[in-house]
Amino acid sequence: MASTARGRPPAHLRVLLLLAMRNLRRQLRRTVLTMSAMVVGGGLLILSFAIGDGAHEAWIDGGVRLGTGHVTVEQPEFRISRRIEHRVPAEVRQAAEAALDAPDIAPLVVARSSRLAVSGLASSAAGARPVQILAVDPGTEPAFGTIDDQVVEGRYLEPDDRVAAYIGTELASRLDLEIGSRVVVQAQDAQREIAGQLLRVVGIYRTGVPAVDQAVLHMPIATAAEWLGAGHDVTNVGVVLSSSQAVADISARLQAALADPVSRGEVRVMEWRESDPALASAIAIDDFGNYLIYAILFTIIGFGVVNTVLMSVLHRHREFGVLQALGLTPGQTGAVVLIEGLTLTAVSGLAGVAVGWAATWYFLGEGLDMSGLIDSEMTFSGIVMDPVMQPMFTAVRMLQILAFMLTLGVVASIYPARRAARIDVTEAMKFDR
Amino acid sequence: MTDTTTTTDATATTDAGAAIDAVRTEGVWKVFHQEAEEVQAVRNVTLRVGRGEFTAFAGPSGSGKTTLLNLIGGLTRPTEGKIWVAGREVSGMSNQEIARLRLEQVGFIFQAYNLLPVLTALENAEFPMLLQGIDPGERQARVRELFVRTGLEGLEDRRPGKLSGGQQQRVAVIRAVASRPALVLADEPTANLDSHSSEALLDMMAELNRDLGVTFVFATHDDHVMERSRRLVRMVDGQIASDDIRT
Repeated sequence: MASTARGRPPAHLRVLLLLAMRNLRRQLRRTVLTMSAMVVGGGLLILSFAIGDGAHEAWIDGGVRLGTGHVTVEQPEFRISRRIEHRVPAEVRQAAEAALDAPDIAPLVVARSSRLAVSGLASSAAGARPVQILAVDPGTEPAFGTIDDQVVEGRYLEPDDRVAAYIGTELASRLDLEIGSRVVVQAQDAQREIAGQLLRVVGIYRTGVPAVDQAVLHMPIATAAEWLGAGHDVTNVGVVLSSSQAVADISARLQAALADPVSRGEVRVMEWRESDPALASAIAIDDFGNYLIYAILFTIIGFGVVNTVLMSVLHRHREFGVLQALGLTPGQTGAVVLIEGLTLTAVSGLAGVAVGWAATWYFLGEGLDMSGLIDSEMTFSGIVMDPVMQPMFTAVRMLQILAFMLTLGVVASIYPARRAARIDVTEAMKFDR
Repeated sequence: MTDTTTTTDATATTDAGAAIDAVRTEGVWKVFHQEAEEVQAVRNVTLRVGRGEFTAFAGPSGSGKTTLLNLIGGLTRPTEGKIWVAGREVSGMSNQEIARLRLEQVGFIFQAYNLLPVLTALENAEFPMLLQGIDPGERQARVRELFVRTGLEGLEDRRPGKLSGGQQQRVAVIRAVASRPALVLADEPTANLDSHSSEALLDMMAELNRDLGVTFVFATHDDHVMERSRRLVRMVDGQIASDDIRT
């Protein structure tokens, strides 16, 4: 009796789709109002995520540049001891640098820095202060860190410098140093002897982060290697990447390249979340707060969808009875309602993504200027926050939000669908609304 | 539940050649529980309706005629007893099987028309065939022929809200018969119609019964329907009180 056209959805599915679409059009005003709320909500969610992700990326970038990079190779004990004996041997350093220079990785690498970092003492005629001595390559370091941009007096280190020191304003103030002043740094050398090195201040910086301005001193690595007897060894090889999304990939490549020393426990490859747990925690807490707000927002929108679909079900009690009398199963009757909810959220979700994408696009480049709300020296987990927030838009995030909205549509439609499926047909026929 | 068995068998006289009855019930009971009270809506009904019959269940409100119709259509389950529709036992079927049976073997006509408001008259009429997956050409040919036959030609694209009560009920009748079911169950089909529309509708159903051999079973307290039926089953307190075959 039944002849179904080939290549078309099953007859029942076509009928269910027809009914669902017609019913959405039937209560056009209610449908449009609910969809509008979802479009605005979805759009705001996209923009909000883009700004949040962009801000987090900026914080991560600022944090890793101030620290040891997105990924760092160092001895397992070094992070605690900060001592020269826990250093990366020259051959391991070269292997790590070679891995980062590989053609397929190089495009992701913004900068790499091989440093000697030790705890020591800085002394002047005015006194002595504990410092973190960062011996860097003056030629490559500006691409890695941002501290060279924070100069307030003098200049940053230059490749020809030998006994130059670049210090923070707080340290300069406490040791009464100025450009051209002499400062002596002391630290334990490779032979575990206390050794001193005379430096001359060439530049003073100010990051706005007191812990840095008080204690971080940059000097040329060539001078430090000689002073500390480290040869070509370093305490870490760090890398700054174009995006934090590439961290896992680069980390895995370094693990593979350094498999032997890693397996022997001589070095370890650390990602920024491990090397800067405070920043990772701060971002996780910020994310949690954001997700909480999103959850509240979408719970409200979810109730809107439930309301729209449920009201539609309650007003169509008799119709559902008729549908079942005419041959629809309870499951198929519920499916009509599910399709309505899913269509409502799918169309709204797509429109919301488009609106969010357009809003994000508007702020790309110029950024969202929050300088009226954020102080220019406000810090977050030791990082100075840029009041101009650059949104970050990723396809993965867009798909996540779309999937989330579709899930919301299904979840919000389950209860109304169950009600439609479980009606008593004979009672429904008596229903007069 | 003990009661005198009400047994009627008019098949032999109305459709002697049919191998399978359109409907057969055996000792059917339907008991509702309303709070603490037990209501025996249908009591021990045994009945056969042959193919091609034009039968009315008549009786006052609460006599059980609509409940019996609902039991036959599988819209509600019997508390006890067995029901066969087109030779298939309904009482033991799953919800899916009953839905399939209704789709393929049973057409419904309701007092309140119950057309789907989001569909046009034509779409309403072909709805069961849409579910059955019948080819659009065949579907439309059957429905359009019935629209012409019932004077609804030109109203195919109207939504139910734009049709009169009589027109809506005629569309409902076409919906019930177009898929060529074994049985059409009509619950008070004329109750919301004026006498003229009611008479026209009965003419139409009688014609479809005569020409297409469609089996009609009505639940009614409308005298016109009772007069026009060829078999009148009177129900009182959930039981069959009389069963008259007319010639």
